[in-house]
Amino acid sequence: MWMCMNCGHVYEPEEGDPVSGIAPGTPFEDIPDDWFCPLCGAKKSDFEFVED
Amino acid sequence: MATAVKSELPPLEDLDDPDFDVFAVERTMRGDYDDPYPVFEEYRKQGAVHKLELNEVFAKHHDVEMHGLNHYTVFGYDACNRVLMDGETFTNYEVFKHSLGKSFGRTVTVMDGEEHQRFRKVLQKAFLPNVVARWGDSLVQPVVDRLMSRFIEKGEADLADDYTHHFPFQIIYSMLLLDPDESARFHKLAVAQLLSQGGYPQGPEATEKLGVFFRAMLEQRRQNPGDDLVSHLATVEVDGQYLDDDVLIAFLRQLVNAGGDTTYRATGVLLAKLLEDPNLYARVCADRSLVPLAIEEALRWDGPVTLTYRYCKRDTEIDGKVIPAGAVVGVCMGSANRDPTKFEDPNRFDIFRKRTVRHLAFAGGPHICIGQHLARVEMTRALEGVLDNLRNVRLDPAKPWPKIISHFMRSPDHIFVRFDV
Repeated sequence: MWMCMNCGHVYEPEEGDPVSGIAPGTPFEDIPDDWFCPLCGAKKSDFEFVED
Repeated sequence: MATAVKSELPPLEDLDDPDFDVFAVERTMRGDYDDPYPVFEEYRKQGAVHKLELNEVFAKHHDVEMHGLNHYTVFGYDACNRVLMDGETFTNYEVFKHSLGKSFGRTVTVMDGEEHQRFRKVLQKAFLPNVVARWGDSLVQPVVDRLMSRFIEKGEADLADDYTHHFPFQIIYSMLLLDPDESARFHKLAVAQLLSQGGYPQGPEATEKLGVFFRAMLEQRRQNPGDDLVSHLATVEVDGQYLDDDVLIAFLRQLVNAGGDTTYRATGVLLAKLLEDPNLYARVCADRSLVPLAIEEALRWDGPVTLTYRYCKRDTEIDGKVIPAGAVVGVCMGSANRDPTKFEDPNRFDIFRKRTVRHLAFAGGPHICIGQHLARVEMTRALEGVLDNLRNVRLDPAKPWPKIISHFMRSPDHIFVRFDV
């Protein structure tokens, strides 16, 4: 799972981030680089892949 | 986690006046305002931004550290979220240096920008969801079981005084490998730190004494590290250096205070609302997939902290009103979480509501609560402890029902219940 290292938010592909225009079903890799964590505003590059 | 580290620490020094009733004073400062939400709603209806020191609307006592500054307060969800998310315009140091900076020291709450990011990431790493999930069994459950064992044979309890009020603090003591015999003193000094807001000298006294203790603890764990939280923080290196002791001490001061204080309040609200509605309680008991929904709704409906602050660095227009540079901005998260443009029928406690908008109970933006994931684990275990162990639990009809009070830090002081034994 992709997790924000600034706040711990986990990006759920099946939910996407509709408020930011990321449709449900969007894989993390396909999110634009200028997307921000919806909880804390960290950059996409602040997310890391973490084993479940 | 937390294998035993032989502790040779000096005992935590008590307050000079050991009979000073920290908890009574804290209750007085917190106030007994019954329901601030109609007041929040009235302001919100009139506009998202008001030139207002919100504490003065409710409190019988000034917040001596914050009173008299150039206060504005934002009430609408979008306005609150904008302030919280924009950490470049709305900063922390200039406002929290007056309050938490005095009580805790150089905590991340009092930092901004790159300095904040650097320390925040290291500290958050110890509280990421995948880390705290492992603490459910090792740290949280033993405390829940121990507290429950003290009343489970009695057929009655005060789930606030006997249970919720203690469990998050005791989890933190376990996390830090503190001596259980000293837990009452730790709880007292942890809470006393914030009495500075009321001008009580016991506030800085508690801050100082906890600082002396934590400095010795860091030194000891560096010399003899285990796999506990403090050993990790004491030995982690960033750019080849240990983290600054004053930052770690401030973090530990804040952890023993805020980490316990907020979670016990949120858990009290959760239990009170479920027990008030026996049908809902029965549904959650029968279908545990509803537990996370109940927790999120309790956090939204009446989160433990209704207000936080930011400092406005530059003139900024929000909802047609200019907040001037230098203003203190109160962010009324309690109001945002009842904003009807985001939450349908917002005053109703409804665990089944659609969750298209996230609540702001843990704030948001760069300073969103570091402990939010641990809080959820703790609330889950505390609720499941009641669901699993207290048969036919119900509010005690012979005693007052839970009353959630305060305009700022909200919780019920009592949750009297009876159950079958």
